[in-house]
Amino acid sequence: MNEFEWRRQLRDLRQPLAPRRDLWSAIDAALEDAGRAQTAASPASREPRPTPRRHWQVAAGLAASLLLAGGIGWRVLQAPAAAPTAANTKSSTGWKPSDPRLAGAAIELDAARMELQLAIRQAPDSGALQRLLDRTEQQQTQLRQLAHQAG
Amino acid sequence: MSPASAGANDSDDVRAAAAGDRHAFQRLYRLHVSRVHGAVYRLAGYDHARAEDLTQDAFVRAWQKLPGFRHESAFGTWLYRLAVNVALMDIRARGADPVSMLDDEHLPDTGTTPFCAAEREELERAIGRLPPRARAVLVLHDIEGWRHEEIGSELGMAVGTSKAQLHRARSLLRKLLGESS
Repeated sequence: MNEFEWRRQLRDLRQPLAPRRDLWSAIDAALEDAGRAQTAASPASREPRPTPRRHWQVAAGLAASLLLAGGIGWRVLQAPAAAPTAANTKSSTGWKPSDPRLAGAAIELDAARMELQLAIRQAPDSGALQRLLDRTEQQQTQLRQLAHQAG
Repeated sequence: MSPASAGANDSDDVRAAAAGDRHAFQRLYRLHVSRVHGAVYRLAGYDHARAEDLTQDAFVRAWQKLPGFRHESAFGTWLYRLAVNVALMDIRARGADPVSMLDDEHLPDTGTTPFCAAEREELERAIGRLPPRARAVLVLHDIEGWRHEEIGSELGMAVGTSKAQLHRARSLLRKLLGESS
């Protein structure tokens, strides 16, 4: 058998094939479940998943929040006279320092992290959202270090 | 009606399904399921149960993504690509599973095995025994007719890697067929 015949034999395998059982009932049930979950999450809309544009709107909003939080942290670092001396405390959703300026940044970052986690749950394949989450967590770590140095 | 001949006629159902009409989506399912399942079945190594799960998953995802379908290609083509992507994601997810892997060293060295005639079932069985990524490249290139550029893009590999995987897959396939003959 020559290579041409061999390839033709392989190409002949390209045939439509019906599943052994009808999959529609299982698909229909999965769509029903998805629809019910969506209704519970957002009763006003059929479409639970953000469109690509909404993804980017969320991402842009979060990026702005991160910049703001990073700026607040940076300002605190640049103002040694105002460095906090009180001990840090933990909030219910995450770490929160007692200094109000650092606390503002911490809340901002915490909120950004939670929003990103929610967005990632809706779009688990989004690398951009994952990178933003990683960056947010890095900034939270940096803020902890700042508070530690200040305290 | 075949998917090819139905391509021009299913746009009403596509629009209705995108707007939430489950009956329209069921008609699309009936029309396209064989083409989708055939491709997924081959990529899944001729494993019926896994292929059925993946086909089901592909249609659920299609329903979810349908509102974003822009009619830039035929619905059947879009659905087929989506299903192939679902099957490839499954292969990537199982990439670390040593049980499903078959490497060169597990095969007897039969020297340079010539191209050999094989019964269809024998050929499918041999393809099913290939390592998943090599099998994916062979199925997409030699059976589905994809170009290396498309395969590389879909599998996240360089064109050269795709070519190397194809060469490896063909060699393994010849060995497997030589082994069984």
